[in-house]
Amino acid sequence: MAGIVVRGRFPRRRMVQVVGTNIFRYIFRGAARNWVRNMGSTAPALGSMTLLLFLSGVIGLSGLALYNLEQVEAGQASVLHVYIRDSAASIDVDALWDRLTQDRRVASVALTTKAEALKRAQRIPGLPQLADASESNPFPASLDVQVKNINDVAAIDASVRNDIAVDPAYPTSYDQGAYQRIQAVLFGLAVAGLAFLALLGFVAVTVTVNSIRAAIHSRRDEVSIMQLVGAPRWMVRGPFVVEGAITGGIAGAVAGAVTFGLAMTGIAAGSSSFTQFAPGITATVAALAAATVFAVGLGLGSGSSLVSLRRHLES
Amino acid sequence: MTRAYGSRLALDDVHLALEPGELAFLVGPSGAGKTTLLKLINREIRPTQGEVWVDGIAAHSLKASGVAGVRRRVGVVFQDYKLLPRLTAMENVALALQVTDLRVSDEEASDRALDALEAVGLGDRGRAFPHQLSGGQQQRVAVARAVVAQPPLLIADEPTGNLDLETSWEMMDLFEDIAAFGTAVLIATHNVEIVRRLQRRVITLVQGRLVRDQPAGRTGRLTWLASS
Repeated sequence: MAGIVVRGRFPRRRMVQVVGTNIFRYIFRGAARNWVRNMGSTAPALGSMTLLLFLSGVIGLSGLALYNLEQVEAGQASVLHVYIRDSAASIDVDALWDRLTQDRRVASVALTTKAEALKRAQRIPGLPQLADASESNPFPASLDVQVKNINDVAAIDASVRNDIAVDPAYPTSYDQGAYQRIQAVLFGLAVAGLAFLALLGFVAVTVTVNSIRAAIHSRRDEVSIMQLVGAPRWMVRGPFVVEGAITGGIAGAVAGAVTFGLAMTGIAAGSSSFTQFAPGITATVAALAAATVFAVGLGLGSGSSLVSLRRHLES
Repeated sequence: MTRAYGSRLALDDVHLALEPGELAFLVGPSGAGKTTLLKLINREIRPTQGEVWVDGIAAHSLKASGVAGVRRRVGVVFQDYKLLPRLTAMENVALALQVTDLRVSDEEASDRALDALEAVGLGDRGRAFPHQLSGGQQQRVAVARAVVAQPPLLIADEPTGNLDLETSWEMMDLFEDIAAFGTAVLIATHNVEIVRRLQRRVITLVQGRLVRDQPAGRTGRLTWLASS
């Protein structure tokens, strides 16, 4: 027979090395080997997860850009242009200025003269022709009022539109509901994006769970032998979790790289128009998005495996 | 212990104990409950009622996370060997050591696996894969795997079922050697010839009930033959 085994006492470092080597062999190397062996059955999960993660990355970056855009819009919407009547006396304009600067809801007030208004208009596409069509300067002077809280813009508008210094035909730039419409559109986009991601996530998790189930089924004999020779539960389940993590990691790496590449291409092409449409998207933000996509892939893959193991692997 | 599958009793109030170094046969007709009993010992299933103690461990009350602890104390040999086909004979045996104790290094696992293979007469076939071995040789590898960690108990479910008579006798010699080293051995078998000639303890199950427990050396008429 095997005889009596006398065990030597290893130094602690050697013991850690041996345990590490064994864990690597039975969990990680075994998982990698099985993943390669089962690549055919894993391919659908890999594909759907890559698609999900890529779209998540794109939607995430788009969401960030939209959020930044909304902040810009909110900033613009909280500036109220109060148009001054051409014939207004300067004493009346000064009185209006004083009233506005003393209002606690107002952050600042700036005067834009007719000449400055014209200069500003000439930088806006289409307006130079309008300016040239008229012999006189058609653009009014204005008091540009920065309101602290966007919700107070309507009240400030109401308080100034009948002032004697204000143009009765076009008193202010206030457009009731414009900001709310932008918010509603952004909210709708966010809900639609999240719903789409949830649907894709469900599909990806389902496909991954099924691919792990197929892997468990194809290695049922091996699993039962491991269990019968006394392998602890984590050692039997570990390779499947690592396999899921490999699938998710590869999907995340590919999706992250494509997301990053797409964002960088946009930034490089870009142009001011890109910056304008996607404010706040920089190389650092794109890299962070790619890293997040990779991490989510790892989590999604290993999490799906755990779900499948709990359902399909008897202990 | 009692084990029911739905309304059917697979084992009905069976009491038995094995001593260290004892070799016992578990006999009975098909469906008598032999495999159920072995599965209870190895904690593949739980008893519906009663207790199963293995080397001081209450197998009947173990949670799933503690099952490996029992299985480290029970070597198992199956009729169909259950070797991993992608591993060599040596790796199959070493696997059983390392999965139960991660502190066993490759060198130690190889040495002990080789010792176990030499003990079953296969010291020169360690590098062979299961498909390169005969049935008898595969069963020997399975025995080496079962005993390499020196468990206090070895259970075998029809270990000679797929072997010719000569190989079966060699296998029985092996089990006797293992028992001689202090391991309790319980063998479920249909092989009447072996049971008669070895004159070891015979536990007879019929329809889930322990109908006879004949001590070693007093194996006379085998009760279950009449009913099978």
